[in-house]
Amino acid sequence: MVEFTRRSFLGTAATLSAPAIIRPAWAADTVKLGCLFSSSGTMANIEGRLNHVVRMAADGINAKGGVNGRRLEVVTSDPASDWPLYAQIGRQMLQQEKVAALFGCWTSVSRKSVLPVVEQNDGLLFYPLHFEGDENSKNIVYVNSPPASSVLPAVDYLMGAEGVGAKRFFMIGSDYVWPRTINKQLKAYWTSKGVPETAWREEYVPLGFSNFQTLVNQIRSFAAQPGGQPIVVLTVVGSSIPDFLREFANQGIRATDVPILGLDMVEADLEGLDTAPLVGHLNCWAYLQAAKAEANTTFLSEWAAYVKAKGVPFSADTVIDPMVSAYDSVQLWALAAAKAGSFDVPEVRKAFPGLSFADPSGYTLTMGSENNYVARGVFIGSVNEKQGFDILWQSPDAPKPVPFSPYG
Amino acid sequence: MSGALDLSPGIPAARRRGLILGGDPLLAGLVGLVLAAALGLVLLPPAPYLVNMIGQLAAFAILAVSLDLVWGYLGILSLGHGLFFAIGGYVCAMHLLAHAYVVTGTAPDLMQFMGWKSLPVYWTGLTSAPYALALALGLAAAVAFVFGLASFRSRVNGVYFSIISQALVYVAMLLMFRNDTGLGGNNGMTGFSLLFGWPMGSPGVVTGLAVATLLSLAAVLVGARALVASPLGRRMLACRDDEARLRTLGYGTTRLKLGIWCLSAAIAALAGLLYVPQVGIINPRVLSPDLSIEIAVWVAIGGMGRLGGAVIGAIAVNALKFWLSAAMPEAWPFILSGLVLVVVLGLPNGLLDLATLRLKPNWLQRAGPQP
Amino acid sequence: MVKGPGRFGFVALLLWASSLVMPPALAAEATLDRGALATALCGDGAAQAKAVEGVLRNSAEATSGDLAWAGTILRALLDRRLACLGESALVLDRAGATDGRDAATGTARPVTGGRSPVLGLRQRALIETASGAASLLTGADVELRRAGLAALERRIATVPEALLLRAASAESDPGLRAGLAAIAQSAALSSVDPARRLAAIRAVSEAPSGAAFSRLSALKADAAYGSDPAFRSALDAALARVERAVSIGNGLAVLYNGLSFASILFMAAAGLAIIFGLMGVINLAQGEFIMIGAYATYGVQEAVRRIAPGWLDAYLLAAIPVAFLTSALVGIAIEALILRHLYRRPLMSLLATWAVSLFLINGVRVAVGSQNLQFAMPPYVSGGVPLYADFVVTWNRLFAIAFAAVTLVLTLVILKRTPLGLDIRAVTQNRDMAACLGIRTRRVDRLAFGFGSGLAGLAGVALCPIYSVNPGMGANFVIDSFMVVVLGGVGTVVGTLVAALGIGGANVLIEPLYGAVAAKVIVLAGIILFLQRRPEGLFAVRRRR
Repeated sequence: MVEFTRRSFLGTAATLSAPAIIRPAWAADTVKLGCLFSSSGTMANIEGRLNHVVRMAADGINAKGGVNGRRLEVVTSDPASDWPLYAQIGRQMLQQEKVAALFGCWTSVSRKSVLPVVEQNDGLLFYPLHFEGDENSKNIVYVNSPPASSVLPAVDYLMGAEGVGAKRFFMIGSDYVWPRTINKQLKAYWTSKGVPETAWREEYVPLGFSNFQTLVNQIRSFAAQPGGQPIVVLTVVGSSIPDFLREFANQGIRATDVPILGLDMVEADLEGLDTAPLVGHLNCWAYLQAAKAEANTTFLSEWAAYVKAKGVPFSADTVIDPMVSAYDSVQLWALAAAKAGSFDVPEVRKAFPGLSFADPSGYTLTMGSENNYVARGVFIGSVNEKQGFDILWQSPDAPKPVPFSPYG
Repeated sequence: MSGALDLSPGIPAARRRGLILGGDPLLAGLVGLVLAAALGLVLLPPAPYLVNMIGQLAAFAILAVSLDLVWGYLGILSLGHGLFFAIGGYVCAMHLLAHAYVVTGTAPDLMQFMGWKSLPVYWTGLTSAPYALALALGLAAAVAFVFGLASFRSRVNGVYFSIISQALVYVAMLLMFRNDTGLGGNNGMTGFSLLFGWPMGSPGVVTGLAVATLLSLAAVLVGARALVASPLGRRMLACRDDEARLRTLGYGTTRLKLGIWCLSAAIAALAGLLYVPQVGIINPRVLSPDLSIEIAVWVAIGGMGRLGGAVIGAIAVNALKFWLSAAMPEAWPFILSGLVLVVVLGLPNGLLDLATLRLKPNWLQRAGPQP
Repeated sequence: MVKGPGRFGFVALLLWASSLVMPPALAAEATLDRGALATALCGDGAAQAKAVEGVLRNSAEATSGDLAWAGTILRALLDRRLACLGESALVLDRAGATDGRDAATGTARPVTGGRSPVLGLRQRALIETASGAASLLTGADVELRRAGLAALERRIATVPEALLLRAASAESDPGLRAGLAAIAQSAALSSVDPARRLAAIRAVSEAPSGAAFSRLSALKADAAYGSDPAFRSALDAALARVERAVSIGNGLAVLYNGLSFASILFMAAAGLAIIFGLMGVINLAQGEFIMIGAYATYGVQEAVRRIAPGWLDAYLLAAIPVAFLTSALVGIAIEALILRHLYRRPLMSLLATWAVSLFLINGVRVAVGSQNLQFAMPPYVSGGVPLYADFVVTWNRLFAIAFAAVTLVLTLVILKRTPLGLDIRAVTQNRDMAACLGIRTRRVDRLAFGFGSGLAGLAGVALCPIYSVNPGMGANFVIDSFMVVVLGGVGTVVGTLVAALGIGGANVLIEPLYGAVAAKVIVLAGIILFLQRRPEGLFAVRRRR
């Protein structure tokens, strides 16, 4: 009880003397941004890049004079792919470092772990990954797309005449929430389209699984059954993706026989693979490196220069969607903070509706007033020989995000 | 067991009781420090994240003590203690979700995701905190009993026991990662909103949890010290140093080992139980073999076979980890591995070697753990 | 599926009849509008599809010159070497070249401002088939024509029969001719001529596969199945034969999968078995020695690429000694610096090796980066060959199996036939006695540790074509390989082999039934139970400590 009175006393004192207390802080000419991306552990390979992107974005903004007259200072950390550590460091960043916003998390579980922290401290977390949706916290900005806005268009494309007229579906995913939710929504979607239940199969493998021989055998016998064109909906993540692709190609299945729609497949997953036998497989994201836009050219050259200048231990010519989304996150925050004229979270949040930003994907990102999601475009990419993706299809505009899927 | 009491030579019972903390000034100091910290949190609370961090560190210290009991005093190195920690954590998480569901009526994410209309049978009764506490400790002890009985009876020991216990925790991890296991799969359980009806994350709850953990740590330390200073404790040491001889002398070691092993599992579960509401998430990652090895690392760094050493090791390593993974993210793994090597090669009794260099060596150093 | 070949079959029959009179190439010399095709290929997906379907339809009648031209431009489109400039298309020598030749006229022009169309999957499939047809009919050498035929076989239902007949009549290679005949025969499944149908059924059943089974099963719905007993019995017999062959093929696949998984387990565990057996040291850094072996392989690849790019394909073989030595040296260094001091404290050496593994993972991560390394895959480790029914032998796995076999032989020879092996066995069985007999046990320890680490390095070489290579790759192997060693019985290489085969086989057998996760859980839980009853493992070496 003692601490309550003490706290409330402090609280009152702070409110009463707010200008006096805050002004010295404002006088300092920097504002801190926190990063929660692992540079060690299982997520290091893909997540580690985002730390550097956030720094690069902040450097870019600083070069133009910063935000509200203050320079951005990026605080990075290493949660070491250890989910509770994300929460711990997030708490530390909000309370000790007093960061104005957090940029972080890749896996859903890390976001779920930070969620109560940002809610309790009324912080802001910019989350750059596409995910399973069904969540809407006022303290998280969902910079990438929920499945209803990105996966369904891609599946539609494959089922249509323009795609391959897919009739049967082999879903294979890592055993956790994101793949399971996606597949649940897909099944509900197919049911609504009159696809019979016998037309799909669902398999899950543990995270980090690499021995795909048996599963690829199963896919081959699934494909041999009658009933129409089969496709594979691949929701395995991380190191399982290249291992699966390698086995798939080695067993002689081509994209023109059974195409794979790799929902988490990015350019970085193809690093280290011979993609000639994989040409034609598909992915879908809100950004592809091949996007034709002036902002993209600028972004790519900026990243290449940054990698060279800072000796960043990642490829200078591979850029993946979450990198761009992390970059967009910093830009969106800066725009909101500038619009609000403040770094206070409630003020910044109030500035979100109506924000728009032309990002490297070539679409104009917008934020509406009903949720903290960002409207993004949709790309369907097709694997090429050069370990990248060619753009096969892209949405005419950025569809309005649908956080809660109508399917399942 | 009573036979052992009579047979043990030396100190009269009264003096023995006096020795519980008196015999180990370091431990007495630590317990005092822990109690002072608890008092300090109540009277002069620092920033909530610090309070929370102190609470977490105390939970880790309890976990380390539980491992030290079996490793330092029985010579059994378990590389699967994360399993018991996780049992405590999972049961606690289930209680928190069930409790919040009953009080607020909002279904937890897990239920929505699994498509459950109501919580399944095995959640029955978990709305009650005492039942959850009993279940956590009981379940951990029961699992430990089954595993220990099989192992100790067929005389699995030394590195074999370590490997097999590690495989056990690995199997448990794979099992819990499965979505169909029904405890949240990879995401585990999170989104706890209430603790005994109070909103989670409010300063009062944060402080309360940290204080409760500190008090538990003090109690566990005193209890463990009482155990190891008792005649039973001497038999533990005898069993550690030469099990065959003890058995030849007519002492059954299986029951002794089994009993302490189960006790240790229950203490680990208690640590998990206190840890989960403070970090707000439980997921199979706590079952990763790496975490279980890390527990052994804490104990080794602090100094095994000294309850105080386990506490110091757990707190020092984790405090350093919290600090460095934010301050010098690149350096942390190197510092940790360097620390382990220094301790293993140069300080066989851990950091306590540094502290006790000038102190009078006590009975433990003479015994010098030789697993 | 039934309808398509039926219609084609009918048309084809007429063509076939006419081809008896004159060679098909002369039957109807249709000329191809090259400009129109080039324009269509630069158009949208629908235009591309329509144009390519036309090429395929007319492939039996088009002139060889036209076909060869169409083949070139289609292949260019597949390889993204086709640049579209307004209405005209340029063929480039390589993707991204600055100059190209106009597809229709052949004049050289700069590419500036051109775009290369991205193919949709439907268009890609059509173009693969059409360009396959072109290479079958106009390919200069047998390999090209064979590849063309393979491309046609993938979508045989869309291939006009006349095309196959034309190819058969023009083909000089006897093997390819036989292949063409079999394919042409099996394409007549829905022919109106009962005799041809029966022949088709037989032909299909002679190349058994899951797809063949589906094709034949579809015929059960045919009216003839009810009315024509000869047809019925032929079909039933064929189905039974295909089904049997497919299940044999699947059985072989299970065997192969089990063997390849077991060989990976064995390679990861072999070095561990020696180290653990000899010194009782739990080496948690063993996975990192595998990783070092893989990184050494990468180093060799880069070196070969710089020094002798022509020999790049041989780098995997060149890497074998390098990887072995690198890992062995790292192992010896660790033994000398750290483990030497810990022989009496096995649990502490366990923690020490854990620290070493943490250090190695992060050292490599900081020095090289955490991304997957890029390996050029020589032909002998990429792709596979269908062996029987649906059973495909993948070269990378076969490489690993062969590698494991060689490792096994090498290990046995060293242990059983060399003085070092004798010493190792002596020290393993009774360290003190061996020391009394004058064996320098410390030296034996060091060499054996180096040897065990080197074996892990070899595993790294064999894993490069199978798994992704990154700093954390070794962590996945530690528990599995310890289970193999302990289950097999400490100190016996044969035990390790048997345990690896058992675990690999059990995993592969359970996986299709209960899924990959459950398979792992069941197998590991089984091992734990077994070890509780029999801690010394399957094959225990008698020893005194």
